[in-house]
Amino acid sequence: MKVFCASFLALLLVLNIAACGKKETPPPAAQPVVQPAAQAVVPPVVLGVTSVNLGNAIGADKRVTVPSTSFAKTDTIYAAVETQGSGNMTLKAKWTYHKGDKIAVVNENSQTIAASGPAVSEFHVSMPSGWPAGDYQVEVFANDKSAGVSKFTVK
Amino acid sequence: MADTDMPDFSGVKSGASSTAMKIYEVVSGDSLSKIAKREYGDAKLWTRIFDANKDVLKDPNKIFPGQKLKIPPK
Repeated sequence: MKVFCASFLALLLVLNIAACGKKETPPPAAQPVVQPAAQAVVPPVVLGVTSVNLGNAIGADKRVTVPSTSFAKTDTIYAAVETQGSGNMTLKAKWTYHKGDKIAVVNENSQTIAASGPAVSEFHVSMPSGWPAGDYQVEVFANDKSAGVSKFTVK
Repeated sequence: MADTDMPDFSGVKSGASSTAMKIYEVVSGDSLSKIAKREYGDAKLWTRIFDANKDVLKDPNKIFPGQKLKIPPK
């Protein structure tokens, strides 16, 4: 009887240990809720003037080769207007001569562009008989709003 | 009356161009070859303008004042 009891207790002990050692299968981890990636909405860049540079020559990219604010009497003077964004815009260049408080309009020219990204638009003026020496400026307008004034001299 | 104290700028020549497509509004007397001559310096390049405007032009000889045409960069 003692042997039986001891065996029974031993069996219970083994079963108990086995039961304790058994790891319960953990519940499946909650799947993280995957939100659909938000669509990156890139707002359209509003067409606008970013810079105006003057020079006496331009390259194939319409940019002035050497920016300058001082010109010779025989120079053709270029104003390169850089824009960014897309859409239609009317650019105007108003060239004026300044002597004291008197102003003379040298030339006005405009062009309407349909940009689909960064663009360079140029305006140029020349005077076959030679520019009078003095102070000048060119004001660039974008859709009739001033986008900046650039002053220069002719020597 | 002209201000004799100020220089005469009536002889000034000017021009403009862009890397972007230009929009040109047709005026009376225009033709594609005239526009090409003015924009590119070569009337024979009228086909470039026609090709860029096939969505609005069916006949290159029929353009009308007020019509807006796309002018590809030179």
